[in-house]
Amino acid sequence: MASQAWSSRINWAGLSVCALMLLVWEASVRLKFIAFEFFPAPSSILSGAVRLAREGILLEDLSHTLLSIAMGWTIAMVIGVSIGLLLGFSPVARKFGLASVEVLRPMPGIAFAPLGLLLFGFSLQTELVVTVLPAIWPVMINTMGGIANVHPRLTDVGRTLRLSPTEIVRHLLLPAALPSIVVGARISLGLALVMAIVAEIVGNPAGLGYGIVREQQAMNPDLMFAYIAVVGVLGIILNAGVLALTTALWPASSRVAA
Amino acid sequence: MSRRFSKFSFLAQSLSQLPSPLGLLPLIVILVGWQMLQTGNSPYFPPPSTWWAGVVQSATAGKLLPACTASLQTIVVGLLLAIGAGAVVGILIGISPRAARAVGPLLEFFRAMPPPAIVPLAILFLGYDERMKLTIVAVSAMWPILLNTASAVERIHPILLDVATAFHLSLSERIRLIVIPSVMPSILLGIRIALPLCIVLTLLVEMLTSIEGIGALMIAAQRNFQSGQVYGLLVLVGLFGFLINTVFSIVQAVILRRWPPRDIQV
Amino acid sequence: MKVLAEPDFVFECRSASVTLPLNGGARPIISDINLDVREAEFLSIVGPSGTGKTTLVRMLGGLLRPTAGEVRVKGEILNGPPEGVVIVFQDYANALLQWRTVAANVAFGIERKLSSKECAARVSAALDLVGLSKRADDYPWQLSGGMQQRVQIARALALRPAVMLMDEPFAALDAMTKAGLQDELLRLRDQTQTSFVFITHDIEEAVYLGDRVAVLKGSPGRIDEIVRVELPSPRDQISTRQMPEFLAYRYGLHKAIGHG
Repeated sequence: MASQAWSSRINWAGLSVCALMLLVWEASVRLKFIAFEFFPAPSSILSGAVRLAREGILLEDLSHTLLSIAMGWTIAMVIGVSIGLLLGFSPVARKFGLASVEVLRPMPGIAFAPLGLLLFGFSLQTELVVTVLPAIWPVMINTMGGIANVHPRLTDVGRTLRLSPTEIVRHLLLPAALPSIVVGARISLGLALVMAIVAEIVGNPAGLGYGIVREQQAMNPDLMFAYIAVVGVLGIILNAGVLALTTALWPASSRVAA
Repeated sequence: MSRRFSKFSFLAQSLSQLPSPLGLLPLIVILVGWQMLQTGNSPYFPPPSTWWAGVVQSATAGKLLPACTASLQTIVVGLLLAIGAGAVVGILIGISPRAARAVGPLLEFFRAMPPPAIVPLAILFLGYDERMKLTIVAVSAMWPILLNTASAVERIHPILLDVATAFHLSLSERIRLIVIPSVMPSILLGIRIALPLCIVLTLLVEMLTSIEGIGALMIAAQRNFQSGQVYGLLVLVGLFGFLINTVFSIVQAVILRRWPPRDIQV
Repeated sequence: MKVLAEPDFVFECRSASVTLPLNGGARPIISDINLDVREAEFLSIVGPSGTGKTTLVRMLGGLLRPTAGEVRVKGEILNGPPEGVVIVFQDYANALLQWRTVAANVAFGIERKLSSKECAARVSAALDLVGLSKRADDYPWQLSGGMQQRVQIARALALRPAVMLMDEPFAALDAMTKAGLQDELLRLRDQTQTSFVFITHDIEEAVYLGDRVAVLKGSPGRIDEIVRVELPSPRDQISTRQMPEFLAYRYGLHKAIGHG
């Protein structure tokens, strides 16, 4: 009975659809149904990926992208949480700052790429500019919102218990706002990943994004697909991993609407 | 009764929810300060007056308007295509739980794939032209709409489906009268997510390939070290984005005025 | 010899049972239900929660097929929701189309079958009956819970059904609205000869409204007793409820369910 329950949890239909698609793809290329020179078979993509890994190029590019994401996200978090806290706690700050935030927020991060290139050329700094600026907003908005949405009763509780304002903030308000902040951090991380790839495609010749463009320009479709697949897998792992970690540490953050 | 939805009260209500315009002070202060402090001809931090000059230069050279039109066209048409495909496929997947399960992992993979990573692939496959730009925008923007729609269809309250059965609705009536209105707020939420994606991808492709558009203009300005123009176009893009988002918010509010307010997420 | 013709049964249940799959096994929800409902009859069904009242309504409404036994409407075995039977759901918020006006909601069942003029007339009449004519252009989410339930009832009334199946429709309403609507139902039954199958947990309501009261109890739910209510008609909220016969029925049913 236990094995029955276990096997019914695996999404057989889903797995078979994926497997079928890969098989059809492989067969079409081998049997020359698809004779498009830029459309490689899954097997050659896999062997290309293995080759890149063995030569160390893949690792180098992966590390660069990961480093870029880590740095960019950390900077975005520091700035975003600070401004978010300021706006969240101070109605005066909101009055004199919110409109600016609303105006700056819709700015597409990629629009900063030419500016970054102008100031820093093809370098890590440009990549950081493009990664950091858009990633600030989700964590900032969620921090601000998290504090604003803390139930007013909580402040009353603090005052009844004769806590000082600092203690109220530290022990009641911040923990209550934490799930929302964590969700904002997750969204920012996902955004940092995407923007790092964007920056590497357009601005900084290093990392996985550049790998995709490099192989595209060199007309190596199998290697290009390999890089794309790595990016996709990285995205899945990063998102799932962060979700699992944050849910384990702060269970309430999985219940907050993103 | 219908007075409740008079256009004026609606507008007044929406306007009152906007943040105080005093909030623009920091930006104004920065711009004015920048203008006053930059007396030299710094190539990296030109004063705002040169930004305006740069944009005007673009306009008088006859390049600005065609670029804006080209970008806007891609964004709008791409979004419409994405809505058509995403909503239809989303509904089809949502209606059939078996299809949803079968296609699930595939969808998750496409959702996790950052669309910019696909841009070089599209360039390789489709070449350097307008059609490629439109294809990538539409195909990438499709996913949030598709996923939101499918999940909303799956979450339609079972009682509502009972009502459809109890009132002898045919399948097409069911979809037309119950499913689509039910998921309309979610479709619009998906579109709201897809819209910035359309903008980003359009700009990205234009920057990478110099196909006509604002992105191409920006990269050209950067390559020619026209720093004032780079800043100016940046502000222009910001305004552009702001306008598009505002228009969409208005459209969304108008469409959703019949739905319960709690369904609408900001 | 003169044979008295039996009035036709509108509804007939013979040994009907419903077993639903649950957690890898199967759980019987209701079992061996024997019921019949005649034309223009008001049948109340009382029972505590957990006895499968909603399942019973869904079965009668054709949304669930019985796993054993049979259900017939006008002699024909049920195969999906039957014509002439309309369900009024307990969850009014999700049973109404929140994006349509009240009037459009009431028209929902008839708009595909009647001309727009006839449709409008019926909608107007139904709204008058439930007292919501002034709110015809509002949206359900702008109305209170009680009003939303009245919209659902109006929607059912617009269809002029032979049978109205009602799943604890008044559970969320205040006493005065409840009383008014109870009398409306009775008046409607007299005017249109509609049959009612009315599920409730309120024993007094069941006795006040019903010609007969069935007691659903146990797990799986069974109907072991059907009490005929011989109270004068037309019923009156004040005098009927004070009659010793009323109190006797009330007492008997409380005991039958297992209270006191």
